[in-house]
Amino acid sequence: MRKQSRAVLGAVLALIAVVVLAACGGSSSSSNSSSNTSSSGSTSTGTSSTPAPSGPATVVEGTFPQSLDPSIDFTTQGGEVHWLTHIGAYSFAHANGTAGTAIIPAGATALPTTSNGGKTYSFTVRTGMKYSDGTPVKACDLKFGVERALKLGWSAASFLTSTIVGAAEYSTGKAKDVAGITCDDSSGKVSFNLKSAYGAFVDVLAIPGVSFLPASTPMKPEPTNPPAGLGPYMIKNVVANQSFSLVRNPNYVPIPGISAGKVDINVKVESNTTTEASDVLNNQADVFDWGDTIPPALVSQIQGSGRFHAIQTNKTFYWFLNTQEKPFNSVLARQAVQIAVDRVALARLGSGQLVPGCYLLPPQMVGHPTQPCPPTGFNPAAAPDLAKAKQMVQQSGMAGQSVTVWAENRQPRLQWCENFANTLNQIGFKATLKTIADADYFSTIEVLKNHPQAGFADWQQDFPNPVDFYQNLVDAHAIAPVGNSNYEEANDPHIQSELAALYPVPGSQLNSVASRWQALDYYVTQKAYLVPFGYLSSPEFVSNRVDQSSLIFSPLEGPDFSSITLK
Amino acid sequence: MGRFIVRRVISLIGVLIAITILVFALFQFLPHPELQLAGRFASPATLAHIRHQWGFDRPIYIRYVDTMKLIFTGKVISYDQQLNVDHELVQRLPATISLAVGAGIIWLSTGILFGLISAWRAGRWSDRALTVLSMIGVSMPVFFLGASLSYYIGDKLQFLPASDYVSIGSNPWEWLKHMIMPWFALSVLFIGVYSRVLRSTILDTINDDYVRTARAKGLSERQVMIRHVLRNSMIPIVSLFGLDFASVIGGGAILTESVFNLQGAGQFAATSVQQLDIPPVMVITIFGASAVVIIGALVDVVYAMLDPRIRL
Amino acid sequence: MTTSATGTELEAGAWTPDHAPGEELPPGIGPYRLALRRLRRNYVALAFGALFLVIVILCILAPVYSHIAHMGPNDENVDQATNAVGLPIGPTWKLSHFFLGADSVGRDVAVRLLYGGRNSLIVGALATLITIVLATVLGILAGYFRGPIDGLISRAFELIWAFPIYLLGIVLGLVLGLSGLDLGIVKIGGNSLLIPALIIGVITTPYVGKPIRGQVLGLREREFIDAARQQGLSHVQIMFSEILPNVTSTIIVFIPLVLANAILTEAGLSYLGAGVRPPNPSWGNMIGDGIHLLPAAVHTMLVPGIMLTLCVLGINVFGDGVRDALDPRAKIRIEH
Repeated sequence: MRKQSRAVLGAVLALIAVVVLAACGGSSSSSNSSSNTSSSGSTSTGTSSTPAPSGPATVVEGTFPQSLDPSIDFTTQGGEVHWLTHIGAYSFAHANGTAGTAIIPAGATALPTTSNGGKTYSFTVRTGMKYSDGTPVKACDLKFGVERALKLGWSAASFLTSTIVGAAEYSTGKAKDVAGITCDDSSGKVSFNLKSAYGAFVDVLAIPGVSFLPASTPMKPEPTNPPAGLGPYMIKNVVANQSFSLVRNPNYVPIPGISAGKVDINVKVESNTTTEASDVLNNQADVFDWGDTIPPALVSQIQGSGRFHAIQTNKTFYWFLNTQEKPFNSVLARQAVQIAVDRVALARLGSGQLVPGCYLLPPQMVGHPTQPCPPTGFNPAAAPDLAKAKQMVQQSGMAGQSVTVWAENRQPRLQWCENFANTLNQIGFKATLKTIADADYFSTIEVLKNHPQAGFADWQQDFPNPVDFYQNLVDAHAIAPVGNSNYEEANDPHIQSELAALYPVPGSQLNSVASRWQALDYYVTQKAYLVPFGYLSSPEFVSNRVDQSSLIFSPLEGPDFSSITLK
Repeated sequence: MGRFIVRRVISLIGVLIAITILVFALFQFLPHPELQLAGRFASPATLAHIRHQWGFDRPIYIRYVDTMKLIFTGKVISYDQQLNVDHELVQRLPATISLAVGAGIIWLSTGILFGLISAWRAGRWSDRALTVLSMIGVSMPVFFLGASLSYYIGDKLQFLPASDYVSIGSNPWEWLKHMIMPWFALSVLFIGVYSRVLRSTILDTINDDYVRTARAKGLSERQVMIRHVLRNSMIPIVSLFGLDFASVIGGGAILTESVFNLQGAGQFAATSVQQLDIPPVMVITIFGASAVVIIGALVDVVYAMLDPRIRL
Repeated sequence: MTTSATGTELEAGAWTPDHAPGEELPPGIGPYRLALRRLRRNYVALAFGALFLVIVILCILAPVYSHIAHMGPNDENVDQATNAVGLPIGPTWKLSHFFLGADSVGRDVAVRLLYGGRNSLIVGALATLITIVLATVLGILAGYFRGPIDGLISRAFELIWAFPIYLLGIVLGLVLGLSGLDLGIVKIGGNSLLIPALIIGVITTPYVGKPIRGQVLGLREREFIDAARQQGLSHVQIMFSEILPNVTSTIIVFIPLVLANAILTEAGLSYLGAGVRPPNPSWGNMIGDGIHLLPAAVHTMLVPGIMLTLCVLGINVFGDGVRDALDPRAKIRIEH
């Protein structure tokens, strides 16, 4: 009998051990509780009846940025932060609408001068700038920032490796530095030498990942203790995957066009979108993640609150059809799909936040065609002519062909894919769905030998230039064994010759070639290389504490936290 | 006895090593981790560079040894955020442990109570009612139960918070309010199982010879029940509890944690799998499986002490 | 839920048809006939067995209902069945038109409920078959031969037992869902129902295999096995003709438990995105879909959730009756 009580005793001891462990876990997490307390503190100020106008404001995000280290991150959630903390030579203007697509000199004194047939970009770095830790900024810190991004595997590094001389060699360790960047700390002059003329290069320099960094920054990822930057805010109190704060930078040396900010910001992650939205609706948080979609269950309530605006931000959703494989090697079969896709239904399935359309270039982008949709002049906002599409499939001789639709396994993308497969079945194909986990979806369809027959894809502008869409999604040069982003595997001589002529056009002269881009985009839809189905608007949704009239919503980086004013 | 324990320990170590190998091997089937690490449209040269940097190009047995070295020295780094996994896991353990301890107390005490009543009143209506209850409990998917609770009690009635975890250190009252529904949801199944097992064991033991002997010795019914029947019937319950508790601690309550968004170890593992972020999944699986195996071995040893016939 | 939670329930094994104390054993009636006679008198168990049977029949008749409702399981009617922001309509209670409402893409919930039930039941049945066959074979081998074979099989059981079921399921689901399973002779596509069935079947094997092994360990010491050996029967013959019949009642008792557990596990895996692949319905992924729509369109979660609970409840109560019938003293031995 003693032995039995020992068994019970053992279980009790195990329980006690675990409780003690829990206490240890609790205390160890409270060691970095500065952010915990500050974020919970902010929540309570949010709920209390007399909020302090000085903030901080609470921003809820659906997902944590890929990394808070600017040399790694390239996500919506990271971009809007690094836009304010880590600034490079150029930046996107802090303004609403089309004005927000302008590029302003930030760390540089003026827009760059180009020479050498558009292959060399030179500028001078502003004097007197300081990092948040007080160290003065040097011209060569920009070169260091680029090198660090290359070394740490910045997610958009291909923009650098494909353009700057020696960047690819540096990133793979074959060169000691990036040969194409020259800099001089004493004169402040920096120049970039490109492999070929590339008109959108200033846009690339304005992406938040290309920034000045103190040369003392370690060459390793610093996601919880990001390097110092020269922007108006600095990142503090990082609790990975949960929260961090944006604190106004006391050493900020004002740059024209970039405000010093009015309140500090606490960012916390709320992975349940419904909770996230209701937190803002109930004024427990102040700004909703612009990368998330308002859940359908709350749309009408949120629209009724008067604190919600749908903002067009140039995000195209499309179906790709593999032009190298049956049945979509037939133009007629592809065109049948182009007219059959039920864009009205797809818009509904996207919580009504999707604007139906048929062109790759989104409405606010230079080059968006204005004609009715080819090939039949159909209206994307009306019910599709399925009978006509069915007839075209018959004509193409591809009726009854099986099609595997590659689908992303999250909402509403999965629902869109289910609807698309259903449409294909209705017009005479035999469509089945192949669902892939989100994290794996693009890396899987980007492996060329998988030859996905048809599937979902989307593109959000990285910078306001049609080159961004075309060089990645349509250009035959983008076809690669891995990292293939030309999913349709289109290689059309007309497109290629047009692109060769359009790439070198500098961003400042974009309007002069607008009609040429329009014609090209029209052509792509007409040939149905891609089947774009709509443009998602982004939510500008804030609590009643936030003065919405003064809030700036950039079409590129979302709500500008430095413009937040609390009532 | 000593030889039995030595043998059990050796086989325990064998199983633990096998677990690490199996976990490691399982993830070799997941395609191309370098694609996740490389970001968009990486060139083959970049991919090769990353493969080299993370050691993916090395022979599989060397990678296994390297990975285990990292895991057991606490230096393993996640792919996704490139953070120290052990550190991340420690941050999430309070939620999981809160869930396990609270739910454990509830399901053990309620399970025993219901089991006793059922056995005591075997065949009567109270036994039947409890049987039906426990049957419904074991028949309901926990995420359905959890989501229904969260919706009706959390969202509709606003009686308790619908989801999320609040650390006990920052606000004990909020912590309690946030934990009540997860505790209940997780306990329901176990209460059903435990009360059924206890009822059967008691009914079984009552007819055993030694109980008859005890009665024959003239012990009171009460003494017989408590000293003989109950004590013996508790053995399986306690051992089950050890295993179940270990598995919840080891991230086994994935569904409960996910549906209430507790951000514990299990949910950490589930989201990491979905992001194909393999290092955290390896660490949690090895940690959880080890907990179950070690407690299983302890239970075996205790059993062998109680019942020499098991020493086979 | 957790691995051993269901395990504990399944562990309760090793029954032989037995007679209740005091019950008259009619001469000439075999133990199974007797059990059947007892089961026939257990009206509660029979009623729940009938409930399960009705659900199975309804699911088999899914195509018939699909015809009545004018909708296939994957047919969408976004236009009529959702509002401008994509919220589905609720139940209309008209058999011919969205009887139980629509789901997030405008599909008929009632039609999908029946087709989804088919998928859930098929996965459950296949998984049960796999578990029972594997567990019987491995359990008998381990218990009969003991020594290194037992060591190997028991450690393998322990290994699988130690893994969190759902984690193992998600990982396997991810790997197999992506590439399918190429067994050389047969190739199973990533969409096949066989994949979740196989995953669940394998991961539940130890819960049945362990008790069978334990029972066989006891049996092999009995006189009749010695006798069979003396007669010169081969190992295979002994295992088949002497041992297997003696563990049959254990297996019978386990079948409903394993089936109920497999259906629940499938639901959990589908909820986590690693079970039945969309657009094919299963009760699990339908509940998951409904949870995403909360706090609106509650019917999308409730309808499949209640159906699943009723179905599993039917199996469990009936299974409990079977166990009582085979062993009225409800004798439970825990095997380790």
